[in-house]
Amino acid sequence: MAAPQTLPAGETDAVHRRHVVSALVVDRPGTLNRVSGLLRARSFNIESLTVGTTHEPGKSRMTIAIRGDDGHLRQVLAQLERLIEVLEVTDLTSTPRIELELVLVELDPPRSPTAQHALRGVLAAAGGETLSEAADLWRARLTATPEIIDRALEALRAHGLRSLVRAGAVAMAADPETIPTNENGVTRA
Amino acid sequence: MAALSLPISAFPPAAQVAPRIGARAVCEALVREGVTTIFGYPGGTVLPIYDVLREFPLRHILVRHEQGGAHAADGFSRATGGVGVAIATSGPGAINLVTGLATAMMDSVPMVAITGNVPRALLGKDAFQETDIVGIALPVTKYATVVMDPDEVPYAVAEAFEIARSGRPGPVLLDFPKDVLQLETSVPHPEPYQLRLPGLLRPTRGDVPEADDLAEMIAAAERPLILSGHGVQIAGATDALREVARRSEIPVAHTLLGIGNMDETDRLSAGYAGMHGWMHVNKMIQQCDLLIGIGCRYDDRITGKTSTFAPNARIVHVDVDRSEIGKNVRTDLGIVADAGDLLTALLRRLPQSEPRTEWMDQLAAWRKVSEARSWHGSGAWREGRLTADYVVDQIGEATDHQATLVSDVGQNQMWAARYFGFRHPYRHLSSGGLGTMGYAVPAAMGAALGAPERETWAIVGDGGFQMTMQELATLVQDQIPVRIAVLNNHRLGMIRQWQEIIYDENYHSAELLGPDLVRLCEAYGIPAWRATKPDEVAGVIANARKAPGPALIDFHLDEAQNVYPMMLPGKGLSDMVEKAPE
Repeated sequence: MAAPQTLPAGETDAVHRRHVVSALVVDRPGTLNRVSGLLRARSFNIESLTVGTTHEPGKSRMTIAIRGDDGHLRQVLAQLERLIEVLEVTDLTSTPRIELELVLVELDPPRSPTAQHALRGVLAAAGGETLSEAADLWRARLTATPEIIDRALEALRAHGLRSLVRAGAVAMAADPETIPTNENGVTRA
Repeated sequence: MAALSLPISAFPPAAQVAPRIGARAVCEALVREGVTTIFGYPGGTVLPIYDVLREFPLRHILVRHEQGGAHAADGFSRATGGVGVAIATSGPGAINLVTGLATAMMDSVPMVAITGNVPRALLGKDAFQETDIVGIALPVTKYATVVMDPDEVPYAVAEAFEIARSGRPGPVLLDFPKDVLQLETSVPHPEPYQLRLPGLLRPTRGDVPEADDLAEMIAAAERPLILSGHGVQIAGATDALREVARRSEIPVAHTLLGIGNMDETDRLSAGYAGMHGWMHVNKMIQQCDLLIGIGCRYDDRITGKTSTFAPNARIVHVDVDRSEIGKNVRTDLGIVADAGDLLTALLRRLPQSEPRTEWMDQLAAWRKVSEARSWHGSGAWREGRLTADYVVDQIGEATDHQATLVSDVGQNQMWAARYFGFRHPYRHLSSGGLGTMGYAVPAAMGAALGAPERETWAIVGDGGFQMTMQELATLVQDQIPVRIAVLNNHRLGMIRQWQEIIYDENYHSAELLGPDLVRLCEAYGIPAWRATKPDEVAGVIANARKAPGPALIDFHLDEAQNVYPMMLPGKGLSDMVEKAPE
């Protein structure tokens, strides 16, 4: 990707990092296409993008995890904001926030009580639990920050990880005072 | 600006109105929006509209290709300040609009394109002439949507117009499955306050507090320069710009689409900036200590290498679109505002400035040199060589600089920008952002219909002319008085120029065979003349101006004439190629 253009004086723009963007959008066919199309046209690779309904009918919330330079991304977010279907865009990257990701995994059943104990420990550390424990296959879920999920999945490979489905991050800005103390779901910026 | 941008309340609001088919609701909505002229090409899926078109006060211009229709709607918009309308059928018809939509998108031109699609039950089934035009149009429109319910029609059209013309304008595409046009609806047309557009960015109107900061910067500057762009005309703010220039004694440069912001004979008009702009203007950009960009994008054809752009200046950027601020250049002060609001706010704050004698004397000295070194200054035409600058200059003189001039893309575009001598806004039309060859003739058609009180000229190279010359038939059928000046060098001139200068004279595909244009026009029934020498120019222009309908002049030019100065790719405004004509 081309180097970012210069930006308003005094602002750094060359920091390349993971951004978490929250966008409130109109729930219509084509909205996802518009948003992803704009990011594609600017050569951004989307790490994850989740969409779901909100408490208001007709409005959806997107959480987009994306890597890029601060300045470049800020300009793209301004372009996102001008899409007719986009109501509001917030870059949560530098904001205290709750950020969680859901993962479903299939595992080999543990062969010993020790292995079972270790497995449950890995799951618990990532806000997870088993969903079914059949003789030939266990299924479990994890709910934690993407970083914790990454660590847990790495650990699960040693426990016979057969397959996994990741939902992508969902995030919400939060007052630092009221962020839950459960470290599985906390991201302090 | 024309009154076209305000809806007419011809249909009083009511909970329900007498049922009418979707096609009638579309036409009613167009009339309510003040539309008088539409550019279209019929086809199976839009025939329900054509079936009822006669019932409405809408003049339909049957173009010869949908691309021509889109450019004509664009030209109509730019010449009137209203919203142009193009209609095409599904599949190939809709796809043919795409170049025109992208052209309008890049230049912030309000436009509504209406396409038909296959009936809803056939959507997605690869039916005859089906295409996902909304999917194709998404990146080249401000908004595009398919209207899936007849009850949605009245709101969809009203909202399309509101989106197209509000804030930073742009094209909107509405796709109607055929049965939506055929089924009835009783939904009334919405009043403006009923539109459902929560995501539409509208500029905050009224005073612009940041004008305080700008006024301070102006007070502190010794060598200020305004760089004015298309946004000034979109905002209808050329009078305010001229007033600000006089009040602050700041010279005003313009971008390609900012032509007409200033009267070029005004002492405070610096002139055309950028890649093929005037050297004296580019020198000012590089030497000024305050550069105030108003309604421009600081795009690469203006800045060249951004790291060496305006190195001595604090840079101000005023744009209605927040995403433009800081996109291309370092910005010391960014102001998100309508250009007119900002200029009005400035006028409230600026005291009358003393003339900036030293700075203006510097401008005059640079101007003298750069004009003398230009083609026109060189007077090559006096030696019997038919040069493009002379042709453009003579068209300007003959029309007293009052005509609407629509240029195409390439050398002809640069010659038109440099040598016509514009006085007024909305009279220079060109595809600035996308650089669409083939734009001039169909856009001139739209401009001539939109502003019939003015003479309309298309200035086009022989390459661009051959891209959309099918519209000659449209000009004849509707007797649209466009005068076409073909700057014919039997070359793709700008390609030839690049190959000469950048590719060591390795000419490839720059020579262009064309038809005998005079005989071609004879076949169409269009009066046409050919000029090969400077002393024939005034006569053929006078002849063309007398024609009641379209007319064409084939100017056979000096084949090796290049546009100078020139900024080479990757270079900046300080190291331009400036070559005195030989």
